[in-house]
Amino acid sequence: MFFATPAYAAEAAEHGAEHSQALFSIFGLQVSSVVTTMWGLMVLIILFSYLATKRMNKVPESRLQNFLEFVLESILELLTPIMGDEKLAKRYFPLLASFFILILASNYAGLLPGAGHLPGLQAPTSTLSVTAGFAVVVFFATHYYGLKTKGIKYFKHFVQPFPFLLPLNIIEEFVRPLSLSLRLYGNVFGEEMVVASLFALIPLFLPIPMMLLGILFGLVQAFVFTMLATLYISMATAEQH
Amino acid sequence: MNISIHDMIWAIINFLVLVVILNKFLYKPLLGMLDARKQQIQNRLDEADAERSEAAKMKDEYSRQMQNAKEEAREIIGKAARLAEESKSGIIQDAKDEAAQIMKKAREEIGLEKEKAKAELRNEVASLAVMAAGKVLERSLQVQDHEKMIREFVQKAGDVS
Repeated sequence: MFFATPAYAAEAAEHGAEHSQALFSIFGLQVSSVVTTMWGLMVLIILFSYLATKRMNKVPESRLQNFLEFVLESILELLTPIMGDEKLAKRYFPLLASFFILILASNYAGLLPGAGHLPGLQAPTSTLSVTAGFAVVVFFATHYYGLKTKGIKYFKHFVQPFPFLLPLNIIEEFVRPLSLSLRLYGNVFGEEMVVASLFALIPLFLPIPMMLLGILFGLVQAFVFTMLATLYISMATAEQH
Repeated sequence: MNISIHDMIWAIINFLVLVVILNKFLYKPLLGMLDARKQQIQNRLDEADAERSEAAKMKDEYSRQMQNAKEEAREIIGKAARLAEESKSGIIQDAKDEAAQIMKKAREEIGLEKEKAKAELRNEVASLAVMAAGKVLERSLQVQDHEKMIREFVQKAGDVS
């Protein structure tokens, strides 16, 4: 545990759960509870997607198809104004929509009963390792798409508006993933800590308002992460800086 | 702060795998279908618009034709009425003419008959006068001698009558 509040420490000690501990390892990579949770979420997401698109209909008849249509269209509507037009938004849609869906699911996994206490179940976004991993993807994707779109001219933005700002610009590029990952991790972890503390005080009813807020926060954080990633990619690929 | 490099690598791998799978099973089919649906709706709307304007055009055309037909009908009726009027007056004129002719002929015939009757009457009166004169004179006159004189008398009497 990184930020062990007294209440949470007591809780953790009571359940004897050590969350970031490796459960097993594949190809030398240790698999912890957050990884197994992510796998579970991925299986659910993919299963729903498969079921929704298996018998797709132009006149939507299944509720699942309706729901996923709503989700994807909402995401697309959020991305379009930032990217400028729908064609561009669709080009980066798979990456950005996956961020939103996986982060949202990860945040909500923390609301499941036993999350953080049972082995193999912990909100992935409540650890800095996972949010940092996501931020690293955003970092590389931003520069990759920037280079791909603008070629060598992409590096010009590091010396703009003034060449002496180069060090500052470079620092900015590294601050972005740091802020992305810390914001997401801090919010989800903090929310879980509060719920755990309230649970330690009075287990019945008291944590419920915080958990309801957690539903809102989970959505907001997934939204913020996706919007910022979109903004970074949009800025990197925009014709005029 | 303590970052597990294993968790981080797993997060990256998991995310990239999810992107690939969702792209295949969710984004491409669903967004493609949404596009297809959008296109279809757009096509239907365009078709409907085209059909509506076509219908409006046809309606205009029909009402114009109707107007033309009405005008034509009115013209035909007017012409027929004029024609009927003309033939009516022609027929009446003909009938009048014929009637006048018949009257004229009748008058002529009547005149002829009258003349004929008058002549007959004159002959009758002449012979009667001869007979009467003979009786009055108690003398038998030679018919041949006096007939001329009597005829003149009758002629005068006829002229007076």
